[in-house]
Amino acid sequence: MKKFVVVLLALLMAMSLCMAASAREDVEEVIEQAQTMTLEELAKKAIEESNGKMFYGVGNSSRGKSALPLFIDYLKTIDPSYNMEFEWQQPKNNKIFDQLTADSLKETGTFTMVLIQDGNQIESKMVQTGILDTFIPKEWAEANGYAEGEYEGYLPLQTLNKIFEYNCTGEKTYDNVWDFVAEGEHGLFMDIDSEVVGKNFLYMLTADKYADALKDAFDALPENEKPYFEAVIEEVEEDAYDLDLGENGAYALAWIKLWVESYNAQTDDGPICNTLVDKSATDQFGLLVYSKLRSVEESDSVSKNNIKVAAYEDGYKGFGGYGYCHYLFVTDNSPMPWTACAFIAYMTETVDGFSAWGKDLGGYSSNPKVAEANEERFHHMTGGMAEDGTVAFAAMNDRGYDWWVNEGGLVLEDPVYCDEVSFTVGSWIEMLDKYSGE
Amino acid sequence: MVKQETQQVSAFTIRMNKVKTYFSKPQNVILLIFGIILTITTVAPIVAIVQDTFTIHPGTIDANLEKKASGRTSGFTLMNYIDLFTSKLAKKNLWTPLLNTVYLAVGTCVVSILFGGIVAFLITRTNMAWRKYISSIFIFPYIMPQWTLAVVWQNLFNSNKVTGTSNGLLASLFGITMPKWWCQGLFPSLVVLGLHYAPFAYILIGGIFKNMDANLEEAATILDTPKWKIMTRVTLPMVKPAILSTILLVFGSAMGSYPVPHYLGLTTLSTKYISMNSKYTGEASILAIIMMIFGVAIMMVNQMSLTSRKSYTTVTGKSGQISKINLGKTGRYVIAIILVILTFFTSIFPIISFAFETFLPNPGDYSFLYTGDTKNLTTKWWATSENITENGLYGQMGILHNKTIWTAFFGTLLVSVACMLTAGTIGTLVGYAVSKDRRSKWANYVNSVAFLPYLMPSIAVGVAYFILLSGEKLNLFNTYWILIIVGTVKYIPFASRSALNSMLQLSGEIEEAAIIQDIPWIKRMTRIIIPIQKSSIISGYLLPFMTCLRELSLFMLLCVQGFILSTTLDYFDEMGLYAFSSGINLILIITILVFNAIVNKVTGASLDEGIGG
Repeated sequence: MKKFVVVLLALLMAMSLCMAASAREDVEEVIEQAQTMTLEELAKKAIEESNGKMFYGVGNSSRGKSALPLFIDYLKTIDPSYNMEFEWQQPKNNKIFDQLTADSLKETGTFTMVLIQDGNQIESKMVQTGILDTFIPKEWAEANGYAEGEYEGYLPLQTLNKIFEYNCTGEKTYDNVWDFVAEGEHGLFMDIDSEVVGKNFLYMLTADKYADALKDAFDALPENEKPYFEAVIEEVEEDAYDLDLGENGAYALAWIKLWVESYNAQTDDGPICNTLVDKSATDQFGLLVYSKLRSVEESDSVSKNNIKVAAYEDGYKGFGGYGYCHYLFVTDNSPMPWTACAFIAYMTETVDGFSAWGKDLGGYSSNPKVAEANEERFHHMTGGMAEDGTVAFAAMNDRGYDWWVNEGGLVLEDPVYCDEVSFTVGSWIEMLDKYSGE
Repeated sequence: MVKQETQQVSAFTIRMNKVKTYFSKPQNVILLIFGIILTITTVAPIVAIVQDTFTIHPGTIDANLEKKASGRTSGFTLMNYIDLFTSKLAKKNLWTPLLNTVYLAVGTCVVSILFGGIVAFLITRTNMAWRKYISSIFIFPYIMPQWTLAVVWQNLFNSNKVTGTSNGLLASLFGITMPKWWCQGLFPSLVVLGLHYAPFAYILIGGIFKNMDANLEEAATILDTPKWKIMTRVTLPMVKPAILSTILLVFGSAMGSYPVPHYLGLTTLSTKYISMNSKYTGEASILAIIMMIFGVAIMMVNQMSLTSRKSYTTVTGKSGQISKINLGKTGRYVIAIILVILTFFTSIFPIISFAFETFLPNPGDYSFLYTGDTKNLTTKWWATSENITENGLYGQMGILHNKTIWTAFFGTLLVSVACMLTAGTIGTLVGYAVSKDRRSKWANYVNSVAFLPYLMPSIAVGVAYFILLSGEKLNLFNTYWILIIVGTVKYIPFASRSALNSMLQLSGEIEEAAIIQDIPWIKRMTRIIIPIQKSSIISGYLLPFMTCLRELSLFMLLCVQGFILSTTLDYFDEMGLYAFSSGINLILIITILVFNAIVNKVTGASLDEGIGG
């Protein structure tokens, strides 16, 4: 009897393991097939799979909740009887990674798909561990000029930018990125421990491309401003060597050191924006998400004209901010992989699918066709113009992704590089003493 | 042969009789059942979190270090302990936060006991004027989420010159800038937390003052003992158990507070846990264990004090008189006015400030105050019914139409009522059972194990339950179940402490008289014990309810925002959308006041009524 029970248990265990493995293989197979299909073909598969079912999505952006009803409406244009219930969750405090790790232990997961930021943790905790799978929609790849199977990175929904803005009610100007770390400056910035993409931005500065840009900006400084920074650059030169950084790595480390030791940590970009647009914040600056400006209401003390975007000013040297991506993934144990792929394709291939994010300035679709159509719909490049054609709010005229990358020197997150240096440059940053206002 | 059989049967019968006798006492049944359940609910999460400190977490420091040392990227490791205690970051990640945490917890205890205890004394033992009003208003800071006072503090004292943020009211209206130590760090954190927990001390200490037998003090008065001597030699020793209970409860709560130090810029173990969790997951779990160790240490101190504590029977059924100190004709008003002003700032001003905030055009935009122009006010935060056009609401609908807020509201009610009923009932039964069998080791064990989760900082309990209940077989993350389970376990001590304290005051003679009359246990409880100690027992139910309504530290890791009001409120606060967070605060306060009024109407008792009424 005992033997029988043991054998039965062993069989059950083996069966459950096989089932779990096969569920995961199914998802990977679905993704492989889905990558060769058009949005309409995927939509039909999604209708078969999810009609009348519940969709659970999770993401760092709350807008997934707004995009889902539009997706359902789209599926209804193919099959009017189609319906799907949905729930969208937005965990905070880095909990999304714990939540996905916990969910990955299930044979069939709860979450159909994921919208997630922080390339560094995605790489080390989600991709290398096989918790999330990348799906590249066919038409998205084509729009970006990739042949089938050619694109190798994660799938970005959009790039968001955080930019230097300063209150311009006083006389002070910031025309060089080193001005933000000059003596006595305390920029408002979300704490790098509460929003880890901020840490990734600092990691990225040590990459050759951005370290070189910092050196160029330093060279452009007036001679009388250089000695303060030179002392710090000399101080960290040995560290740059130890950390195996490139030729101008010391410039990157110096800027990082001065920044970490001077920025005034805030809980979110919202309060930073609220502070800067008030006339009482004379001569203050911050590094914050561009889109926050959209919700500022004009009043006697608050105005969008109280701030300037540093990179838009003539003669500005250095990077004007940094960009990070919202990536889209299918969970490796997704309960509805076809629906996940169809929804991802819908968001990245159609302007309606992107509209939940597209209405904001400072967020740029990864699909150039969608980005173009989105601009035609929302006119972000002229968002600060009055009806009579004059400039009402200069800061609201978003110059677009290409300008930010090429002219604005946006520092772009590279997940693989961030992962590589997170325990070298990352540990060095953690040794620095953050500004405490003393 | 027959003789042997008789002996065997006899031994069995004796055993059975012993068992029967044991279980004939309701307190023993209660202790056995809850002893087992509470052991599991307390020990299992501790085991889970300890295991987590030895586990390699992909993408974190332990995986990196272990890979360098042995090439392994999974399994178990000691790296988390080695790195946390010996690396160059030990001071920053461990020792400084630990020291700050201890300072914060001690300071909070001092502020809350002094403020709450003095007010409790003035209200229950003196003829101070307007006692009922002060009693009602005094508990407001405890009703409100703890960080709302921190936000109010910021709104009052922050200034562009000192904190580099928007000007607060003092700076913008009067140009007064407070120093940095006043605006951020340890001082404001301990004051805010102290004010938040002062009602707690007030309720516990006031309950004893109110129910105290006046015979002892009367005897001392008759013997012409000076008033100060009566106070130090008679009154204070009688309330010592309540003061000790307050310390036990406040110390652990302050240690585990996340939002207050987070908003006021103090690095504690809780804030460090959150900031380290992404990259130093295993080391963060060690921080949680350190917080738990403090909880266990406090419990051991409590045990020592319990064994050495003198027993004070304060409710005997013989005397209901309480002697009141006469503060004098002027004194009773002067002291009352001081308290009215103080409570205005801790209780009324935040509510006015919350209400005002919901009508500002932009968060923190006080243009209306400088200009008096009503154009600088708006009802958009309440009334906006769509989120298509840009209304300056960051894509949200107004509070009245905001589905997220109302879903969270009903979720909060569900969790709070469930926790109130389960924690209140279990805690009251445990408190009763322990008081009946105080000398038994098992009773003391059950008392301790029921109390332990409360002494463990909320955030640590949340972490432990997250690890325990988000696994392969049992995954309750982001369900109301996990919140109810954790809330119940965490808040049983409110009821058990409250019940135990009140039962210890209750002379055994009262129930013994009923036992002699052969009155069943249920009837003894419902007709004698509960009615006598109604206010304390109802406090044992109301405290879990109220605490649950605005609990954040315990629940923040167990569910996402939009699930319950506190996480939603915190989300809006962090986002800087103070109109929404203030509106939610108002909803919470009104909810609690309505519940308090209903309980008052139905049972004749309420949280403060038992003290100030």
